[in-house]
Amino acid sequence: MTVLLEMRERIKLIYSKFEAFIVPVIKFLLAFIVLNTLNGSMGYMTKINDVKIVLIAALACSFLPVGLMALIGAVFSLMHMYALSMEVALVGLCMYLIMYLLFFRFSPKDSLVLVLTPLLFSFKIPYVVPIAVGLLCGPSSLVSVGCGIAVFYLLQTVIDSAANIRTMGDEQILEKVRMMVESILGNKAMLVMIAAFVLTVVVVYLIRRMSVDYSWTIAMVAGAMTNVVLLLIGDLLYDVNLSVGSVLLGSLLAIIVAKVLEFFRFCVDYSRTEKVQFEDDEYYYYVKAVPKMTVAVPTKTVKKINTQRNRTPAAAPRSGASRQSGGGRSVDVERTGPDRGAASQLQNRGGVRRGQRSMTVGNAERPEPVDDNVEDYGEEWP
Amino acid sequence: MLSEERVILMTRMASYEQGEGRQNVKIGNYFRSDYIALQTLKAIICGILVFGIGLGLYVLCHFEELMENLYKMDLLAFAREILQYFVALVGGYAVFVYLVCTWRYAAAKKSLKCYYHNLKKLNSLYHDGQ
Repeated sequence: MTVLLEMRERIKLIYSKFEAFIVPVIKFLLAFIVLNTLNGSMGYMTKINDVKIVLIAALACSFLPVGLMALIGAVFSLMHMYALSMEVALVGLCMYLIMYLLFFRFSPKDSLVLVLTPLLFSFKIPYVVPIAVGLLCGPSSLVSVGCGIAVFYLLQTVIDSAANIRTMGDEQILEKVRMMVESILGNKAMLVMIAAFVLTVVVVYLIRRMSVDYSWTIAMVAGAMTNVVLLLIGDLLYDVNLSVGSVLLGSLLAIIVAKVLEFFRFCVDYSRTEKVQFEDDEYYYYVKAVPKMTVAVPTKTVKKINTQRNRTPAAAPRSGASRQSGGGRSVDVERTGPDRGAASQLQNRGGVRRGQRSMTVGNAERPEPVDDNVEDYGEEWP
Repeated sequence: MLSEERVILMTRMASYEQGEGRQNVKIGNYFRSDYIALQTLKAIICGILVFGIGLGLYVLCHFEELMENLYKMDLLAFAREILQYFVALVGGYAVFVYLVCTWRYAAAKKSLKCYYHNLKKLNSLYHDGQ
C-alpha cells in the first residue's frame, strides 16, 4: 500500500508540475478519439472523414474549453447526418436543440460527461459512467449522463437507419422525418438506459455522502447492483435485448475503475477515525474526523566526501556547497526532493519540508562566518 | 514575515474564486427575486422554443394526415389541445426552473457568506500581523 501511495504522490507531483502541458495533451487525445470514433462509425461525409481534418479539430480542442469539444463533436455528427440526408440532419439538429434548451443549460460544466458517455457506450463499457459520475460529481450531472445516452442512441439510430434512408428517394421527405422521429422516440433501450443510469447516479451520490465507514465502497457496489437490477427489470418489461453477461462484466469493470478513482480521490484510513464531541453556547458538535492516507515522497540524499582544497578569496561562492578556507575534510549533504506544487505545500506544512533544504555540514579548521552564505541555508519556498 | 495560516487561507479563497466561486459571485450580484425572475423568464423562452420545435416535428410527421382532415376536424378543439400541451410543457418547465433557481440562490448565498467570513478573517490576520 505504501508503494501505491508513494506512486500516487509522485503522479500528483508530476501533474502539478506539468499541468500546463498534460491537460492540453489529454484534451487533444480525447478529442482525437471522439472525432475518430465518430468518423469511423458514421463517416458519410468524406470531406471530414480525413485524419488531417480530425487532427486540426483535435488541436483546436486542446486549448479550447471542453464545452466546445462537445459542440465540435455535435457539428461533426450533424455534417455526417447532412451528407446522409438533409431530413436526418434536421431531426438531429432538433434533438440537439431540445437537449440544450431544456436540460443541458442546467449543467454546462459537465461537458466532459456529455462527451465521455457516448464514447464509452461505443467502446461497450458504459456502466462506468453512472458510478464514476455519482462518486465524483454532483446530482446535477445526471442531466449530462441522460443527454449523453440520448446522443449515443440518436447516432445509433442514424447508423441503423442509414441503409433504409439511402434507398428512399429525395421526394420522400416526410417519410424520412417520420421514420427518424419514430425510431428515436420508440427506442425503449434508450429510455431504460436513461432511467437506470439516472437512478444509479442518485443512489451512488446519496450513499457516498453518508457518514458511514467505507461509504465510497458501499456506494460503488450498491450502484453497480442497482444498475444491474434496473437494467434487467427494463429488459424483462420492454425486451430491449440486453446481454446479461456484458451487463455483469461491465458492472464488475465499473467497480474496478471506481476503486481506482477512490484511491486517487478519497483514500482515507478508517482505522484511525476519531469521534469527538464538544459544545459552545449555541450548539453541540458531533464530529467524525477520518484521516487521509498520505506518505511523504522519499527524498534522495547525496553525500559527497571530498578533501577540502584551499579556496582563493576571489573565487565566487558556490551555492549548495560548504565554504571553508584551509585544508580538511568536508561532508556535503544534499537532500533533494521533487518540486512542490500548491497542493503538496498545503498538505506538507509546519516544517515537514525542512529536510529538503540544501544544507552543508562541514568539518573545517577555520570556518568562515556564514553571513555571505545566506542562500545556502535560506528557504526554498517559491 | 510570511504567515502560514494567511497563505493557506488565501490559497483556498483563490481556488474558490476561480472555480465554484465565480458562478456564485455572479448569482450573488442579483437580488433573489431578480435572479429567479430572470432565470424563469429564460426558461419560459426556452420552453416556447422547444415547444415550437416539437410542434414542427409533429406537423412534419403527421403532415398528410393533417392535410386530409384539415376541413373535417374541429380546429378549435385541436387548438385547445395544443394549448394544453403548451401550458403543461412551458408552465411545468418554468416551475421546475423556479425551484432549481431558488435552491441554487440559497446555496450560492450560503457559500458566499462563508467566503466573506474568510475574507474578514484574512483582513484581521493582516491587521494582527502589523
